[in-house]
Amino acid sequence: MIRLTVNGQAHELDVPSYRTLLDCLRYDLGLTGSKEGCGVGVCGACTVLLDGKMISSCIALAVFADGREVTTVEGLAEDERLHPVQQAFMDAGGFQCGICTPGQVVAAKALLDAIPHPSEAEIKEWMLGNLCRCTGYYKIVESIQAAAGQARA
Amino acid sequence: MAHRIVGQRFGRLDGADKVTGAARYSADVTLPGMVWGKALRSPLPHARIVRVDASRARALPGVLAVLTAADVPDLLVGRRMFDMPLLARDRVRFVGEKVAVVAALDPDVAEEALAFIEVEYDELPAVFDPADAIQPGAPLVHENPGAYHGAPAERPHANVQSVLRFKLGDVDAGFREADRVFEHTFRTQLAHHGYIEPHAGVIALDEDERVQVWASNKMPYRLKELLSHALELPPARIRVNLTPIGGDFGGKGSLMDLPLAYHLARVTRRPVKMVMRYTEELMAGNPRHPSVVTMRTGVTKDGRIVARRATALYNSGAYAAFKPAPSVNLGGTSMGAGVYRIPHLLLEGFCVYTNTIPCGHARSPGEPQMLFAEESHMDMIAKELGLDPVELRRRNLLRDGDALANGHHLEHVRATETLDAALAASDWAKPKPRGVGRGVAMGHRHIGVGFTNAQVRLETKGTVTLTIGLPDTGTGAHLVLRQVVAEVLGLSIDEVQIELATTDLFETDSGVGGSRVTHTGGRAAFHAAEKLKEQIHAEATKLGTPDASFATIAQAAAREGRTLEAVHFYDAKSHAAVTSFTAQVAEVAVDPATGQVTVLRFTTAHDVGTIINPLGHQGQIEGGLIQGLGFALMEELQTAEGRISTLSLGDFKLPTIRDIPPLTTVIVEDAVGPGPFRAKAIGEGSISPVAPAIANAVADACGVRIVDLPITAEKVYFALQDRKGRS
Ligand code: FES
Ligand code: FES
Repeated sequence: MIRLTVNGQAHELDVPSYRTLLDCLRYDLGLTGSKEGCGVGVCGACTVLLDGKMISSCIALAVFADGREVTTVEGLAEDERLHPVQQAFMDAGGFQCGICTPGQVVAAKALLDAIPHPSEAEIKEWMLGNLCRCTGYYKIVESIQAAAGQARA
Repeated sequence: MAHRIVGQRFGRLDGADKVTGAARYSADVTLPGMVWGKALRSPLPHARIVRVDASRARALPGVLAVLTAADVPDLLVGRRMFDMPLLARDRVRFVGEKVAVVAALDPDVAEEALAFIEVEYDELPAVFDPADAIQPGAPLVHENPGAYHGAPAERPHANVQSVLRFKLGDVDAGFREADRVFEHTFRTQLAHHGYIEPHAGVIALDEDERVQVWASNKMPYRLKELLSHALELPPARIRVNLTPIGGDFGGKGSLMDLPLAYHLARVTRRPVKMVMRYTEELMAGNPRHPSVVTMRTGVTKDGRIVARRATALYNSGAYAAFKPAPSVNLGGTSMGAGVYRIPHLLLEGFCVYTNTIPCGHARSPGEPQMLFAEESHMDMIAKELGLDPVELRRRNLLRDGDALANGHHLEHVRATETLDAALAASDWAKPKPRGVGRGVAMGHRHIGVGFTNAQVRLETKGTVTLTIGLPDTGTGAHLVLRQVVAEVLGLSIDEVQIELATTDLFETDSGVGGSRVTHTGGRAAFHAAEKLKEQIHAEATKLGTPDASFATIAQAAAREGRTLEAVHFYDAKSHAAVTSFTAQVAEVAVDPATGQVTVLRFTTAHDVGTIINPLGHQGQIEGGLIQGLGFALMEELQTAEGRISTLSLGDFKLPTIRDIPPLTTVIVEDAVGPGPFRAKAIGEGSISPVAPAIANAVADACGVRIVDLPITAEKVYFALQDRKGRS
């Protein structure tokens, strides 16, 4: 039996010890926003925040999240209002197919929490673990820059 | 003509679901009682299956079914040529071929159960290299491929799937006119598309015994036809429900695991989900064909190309099933001619069976392979002739009225303008420091053809709903179609909604792919909107209030029990006499100590039609370009004896956000496309010339010519060492 809080909601559930946090979110809790791409901690499609820190949920076990707080892409918007990062990704073409986007916006939110006005180099350093095959990344950089500007205003 | 909505830079208004995680991709579809399917794959490249014993797997708690070839119909599937069994029967032909499939209550249990299936193999001699495979006496991958449904007639060797040939003039006579003849051979690698979403599908049998399908497949109507054949069911029993697709790039058009998911659903009486692990994608997806391309070109003293012969040997792997074109080959073979007028031409592509992963279509199929060879070859010829590589190109560029070897005829040729635009924007003529080089490469891509439906309906609140059967692969096409309808009807973008039809609504539709959607979907939407506009006018006239609002008109019709709606089926059978040119310049630095290539800046120039959404248009250019960069510098599925060793995205390297060079894009706009408002296509325009532009830049920077992709530091380093040793 593990207890974890996901996007502010407390859960108690029985999971097999081998269950990954990603499968626990997607399968046991029905939160399919986080995606599985590579499954080995490389692509970032499964990025979530664990106690505010960015992790690849595909290589973390669910039991590891026991007693902790998880934020997924479903938890970014507040009261139907998109997080500035989400809005910026829409406005600036930060996604195409969108499969990497849950991970990208979670990672970008964590970036702006840590560094509110990142330089281009800081953006690239932070986002290194989030692969995108559609956009060629230019518009991801622009989206994050736009979100940072928005937060500043 | 000025437009209101067409040409506006709209953000992804259609994407709120994607940034919140609400979008339901196929792998996210969850149904009551659903169980998980997983496949057991062959560990050997070529072997007879002596015995399969699934009894221990069947006995595991939580396992509902295990199927082997004995439990599924003995039929062959494919997209055009039907040569692939649902599960290997008697024989496996590549490492990764499916041998058995399990359904279990839990995904982890399904995967665990695979280890309990015992398979005894008797290994057979295998062949891995296409050049070996077409020798007399080579091991045969299939005994009699000519007998397969959809198999092309020409077959010089039993290991040849297909031959594709393009001809102009008389190539032998052409070579006799030449003063000099040059021949070079190039190789390109096996490369996965790199979409982040692995293939996924859910199959459920509903209460009417209809097969409900959710799948990462971009051609729902073709999928329905293919499933009808594979499942031996009438098409009316199958319904494909559209889901967003997490990246396609040519890879999401086949049946993949769906027939097996169906048989598991049939046996277990439960909905079944099958999602490939990324490792399975890399070992058994349907990647880009590796190639060996030999280019032979005859040139006159003054640098005019008079004859060319290009021969491509594509390693197609163990099955032809993934190739969708009637030729069962790669149309990009025609790009052996490059962007040049060559009076005597013979271009040939051979797709060859080997005991390796079956290959399929990937973004502009065959073109990155052919253009790497062709545009590298051009620079090598220029060097030998002592000509400037730009000058050699200029002397031979296509012109208005030229015919291409694939039968297309060209007008509005903007090859020179596109080249000039790229050169100017890249500071081509400016001096550069030691160790820095510039390379140019060109290409062109057709505007796709096909057939698409669009239905438009006037709602009583005065808005319009556009219904289509084209899934969203990420390109932003749905937004483009909304823009087209809004433009025609004088509405704002928010007043046009999109609705996705299941395959129950229309008769047929060619789906997404081949640079066609803006053209075919756009024209279908355009004509449907035009029809609706006429109806609206007629209705207003009838009401006696010509400027009545759309809402008033719709409500008046509704009171008489009528809905104003129109459908258009647009069918473009042949290519318009236009193409889209691309010219690119790479500027690179080569580190002499390590061979590391750094792309310092990149310039891409595109000859395009009317741009409907500049944001989406630019996104296609950038995305394709970075795929081209990955193909040029890093992506490679490494194989030894038919086994792929790069089985994770950690080993199969895709470009990251840190790999992107400063980019300049130049648009040469010329509103002459066959699409709505004279649009062309852009999805496949930027990928193909990237690798030769970089290879040419590397040669310029350090004198080393790399003729096999990817251009790794290791290859450049050893080539530099080699040169030092020789001098
Ligand atoms: S799915 Fe977790 S990092 Fe790729
Ligand atoms: S938007 Fe498709 S992978 Fe990033």
